[in-house]
Amino acid sequence: MDIIMPKMGESVNEGTIIKWHKKVGDVVKLDEIIFEISTDKVDTEIPAASAGVLSEILVKEGDTVEVGTVVARIKNSGAENSEIVISKKSSTEKSSQEIQKQISPSGRNDNNLTSNSESSKQNVQGNLIEIAMPKMGESVMEGTIIKWNKKVGDAVKKDEMIFEISTDKVDTEIPSPEAGTLVEILVGEQETVEVGTIVAKLSVGNQVKVQEGNNEENKKEDVHEIKSMHDNFSKPVELHSNEKGIGGGFFSPLVLSIAQKENVSFDELNSIKGTGLEGRVSKKDILTYIERRKTAGVQVQVKVQEKSEERKSISSAITQQVYNAADVEKIPMDNIRQRIMDHMVHSRDTSVHVTGLIEVDMTRIHNFINSKKDEIMKSENAKITYMAFIADAVVKSLKKYPLVNSSIDGNAILQKKFINLGIAVAIEPTGLIVPNIKGAGDKNVIGLAKAIADIANRARTKKLTPDDISNGTFTITNYGVFGTIFGTPIINQPEVAILGVGAAQKKPVVIEVDGSDTIAIRNIMALTLSHDHRLVDGMLGGMFLKNIKEVLENFEGII
Amino acid sequence: MPNKYQIAILGGGPGGYVAAIRAAQLGFKTVVIDKENLGGICLNWGCIPTKSLLKNVEIFDTIKNHGKEFGIYTKELSFNFTEIIQRSRGISDKITKNVELLIKKNKIDRIRGFGKLISQNEIEILDNDGKKTETMSADNIIIATGARPKTFPNIPVDRKSIITSTEAMNLAEQPKELIIIGAGAIGIEFAYFYSVLGTKVTLIEMLDHILPVEDAEVSQTLEKNFKKRGIEIYTKTMVEKAEVKGNKVSVTINQNGEKKTLSADKVLSAIGVTGNVEGFGLEELGVELFKNHIKVDKKTYQTNIPNIYAIGDVIGPPWLAHVASAEGIHCVEGIKGIKNPDVDYDNIPGCTYCQPQVASVGLTEAKAKELGYELKIGKFPFMASGKAFAVGEREGFVKLIFDAKYGELLGGHIIGSEATELIAEVSLARAMEATGHSIIKTVHAHPTLSESIMEAAANAYGEAIHI
Repeated sequence: MDIIMPKMGESVNEGTIIKWHKKVGDVVKLDEIIFEISTDKVDTEIPAASAGVLSEILVKEGDTVEVGTVVARIKNSGAENSEIVISKKSSTEKSSQEIQKQISPSGRNDNNLTSNSESSKQNVQGNLIEIAMPKMGESVMEGTIIKWNKKVGDAVKKDEMIFEISTDKVDTEIPSPEAGTLVEILVGEQETVEVGTIVAKLSVGNQVKVQEGNNEENKKEDVHEIKSMHDNFSKPVELHSNEKGIGGGFFSPLVLSIAQKENVSFDELNSIKGTGLEGRVSKKDILTYIERRKTAGVQVQVKVQEKSEERKSISSAITQQVYNAADVEKIPMDNIRQRIMDHMVHSRDTSVHVTGLIEVDMTRIHNFINSKKDEIMKSENAKITYMAFIADAVVKSLKKYPLVNSSIDGNAILQKKFINLGIAVAIEPTGLIVPNIKGAGDKNVIGLAKAIADIANRARTKKLTPDDISNGTFTITNYGVFGTIFGTPIINQPEVAILGVGAAQKKPVVIEVDGSDTIAIRNIMALTLSHDHRLVDGMLGGMFLKNIKEVLENFEGII
Repeated sequence: MPNKYQIAILGGGPGGYVAAIRAAQLGFKTVVIDKENLGGICLNWGCIPTKSLLKNVEIFDTIKNHGKEFGIYTKELSFNFTEIIQRSRGISDKITKNVELLIKKNKIDRIRGFGKLISQNEIEILDNDGKKTETMSADNIIIATGARPKTFPNIPVDRKSIITSTEAMNLAEQPKELIIIGAGAIGIEFAYFYSVLGTKVTLIEMLDHILPVEDAEVSQTLEKNFKKRGIEIYTKTMVEKAEVKGNKVSVTINQNGEKKTLSADKVLSAIGVTGNVEGFGLEELGVELFKNHIKVDKKTYQTNIPNIYAIGDVIGPPWLAHVASAEGIHCVEGIKGIKNPDVDYDNIPGCTYCQPQVASVGLTEAKAKELGYELKIGKFPFMASGKAFAVGEREGFVKLIFDAKYGELLGGHIIGSEATELIAEVSLARAMEATGHSIIKTVHAHPTLSESIMEAAANAYGEAIHI
């Protein structure tokens, strides 16, 4: 088995071996640390992906090699096949590793697996690449397959999009790591699996045989093993086992029978809210769960179940509404809706929201945009808008009041030295996502205009990367585009403030011209700042808002 | 100062009095209002008095028709019809008095009178002459006024020659000939009762089989038994009219377009019931009705007026005493805020107390197939049961229907001796969501008739021992 230099991040292409913990001939246990590496992002220790004996070290301490280079070999006690494996642990812990490659005739990389798999796999010729659920961000532990663009038997080009996924941070398309033939799909549409779970197999060899028909049995076994390899908890319920679930709950023989047939794990069973006598999970409950699992992700549901049930019971207790089923259409929430729901409640439960409002005279900027937009489009290929100017004013104000550009970590304040400016983007029909402009502090109005156009466009076409939505420091939401004059936005956690942009309107206002008051028609826009009172008090919030107003109103006509 | 209650219950039948006792247990100040003896139709004119009557004829049936088998001979076997009726009335009296005692013991106020709602919180009590005797107020009102036999214009009930079940259990003389219209549980029980006593009985049923809601195999088995007893059966037959002509009633029937006129001393109309919804203020309050019953939410039993509830026969089918009791308890617990699973209308046992008895719960084979289930069916005939042999009750069988996919026990059907007692195991198994093997692996006492349930389950999985 080959050990390669793992990919430790999006932009990390090489790594340096700092130290070998094992020498040739040493016995290596599964998950035992074998070497330490350093990349330009992180230093980390790499555990063994397989037990065996370290048979060869190919890269010395201090040497830097490209990601993917074989650095050592472990001789497995049982399997003689050479395999390329990226240590699973390292990839889930540290890297944003997208694709796990496991090129091997037998596809085995784990000694814990039962041996009957060997025979079941031997009729698959050529090299197989296993495609795993990619990790889409630091805290993203699972993903839902929304759509397969390819079916079993289809030829796939390298980098061709093979499936779409949805995680609790972002929806995206996943390209194929190699050219080949899709030989197996292990995770169906709308199913949710943990990061690292093998979702498909791609054959890159010559003698490709698509597994189908009489190989049905083998296929099933493989699925089963892969599941147990990646997630001990998702073992389907076994009948004839103790009828008490892991949580000590009683499950009826019928519920256990259904769980077994439908591959519902004990973990899942324990997460189902029972409506039967004494809160028992009834046939109806588990069938409802299975039905819902088909339309939405399992794990996501498990996670949100408790909270939303809580909310349900509270709200039903208050409202006690009785509906005629025929008058109400029950629509299951899609993933993105469930996530928005949870994020909103989480934010409301976390931050102490207070909102301040200030009116800004946008007449100067309005006139500037009207007179210069074509020219700037021509010269800079950028469409300048109110948002670009507001973003610019926000960046300048954040620099002046950096506490607004912070987050809270227990009893500490994490004041960010970088500005990643989030822009809330509505996605048709009912979604919402907040990608951020990295390094917004280094951009001028035109740079910001281009960046806003870019992320908004990529958000709407589902081309965002996990990087785009992580590590935001402050958010702007523009509900003014819908004509809303002012609103009280909810903070995008873990940030501590959010700026709401209202619609600009022509209004008669009193202004001072040459020392005397006069009534004029001006473009007036309301900005609201919702800030977390735990950290940002009224004075700071007010000064921050006032600074934005001053930057915008005192615009000198030069960008 | 009018009396003020937390719960007032109109009607003291198996819905109302059970709800009252549960309410008292939960600490509610409760009143139950009924102008008749407590116990409703069930204890006074239904379940209990008819079961008393049936016991008399079962004994008579056994000695007369099976005495030789048991080595019992009688020189002259006879019965006294009046005493049979009297025993039944006596039992009814005793048991309703016991209910009055239960109400007292639970410190529930008992008002004998006719309750009329005058607002959503006020009830007026009227005496037999319709005179107001008192007024009371209640936070919650439960209507449990029950139902009565339905009458049809072409079958004009006069309670003398054309009668309902109420008269049929209290006749002064045994009719020589009796035509029973409707072969549901009531019709079937009276057919058995009177035919054993020697009355010439004719049964008329509009649908394909007698006991049309039961599994077809069960109905067919009973049909054969009844025909052997000399009961004449017309199925798929409409009654065009029934007319009283002197001491006789003539009944014109239409079987597949073929008309025929039958004649008998008495005609028993046993087709359908209708809710008691009139005369106590529902219309004035605007309580919503449907098809002569009160419309409720079957989770809370609330009517369209939130503090007015209704339970039992008055809210419509399945018109069974045990359903009314279950609804009453669930309704009161709901008012108290106790959360229990709703009454499971898919798991209500139905029983008919003729011999052989018929009992069932859940889906029939036909219904299960219609719903698209793939079935595993297990049957066990009492012919193969040692206990059935010993007690000389070899007729009938147990039939259990399982969903092949998940092993759910979809339905159980029993025809035979003690079927109505045996069915409880099947109901419990369904309520607990047992599978076939839960029953097979439960050790059943030997020798019992209940072993047949275990064997029927085993038969579905090819594991039965005695067949």
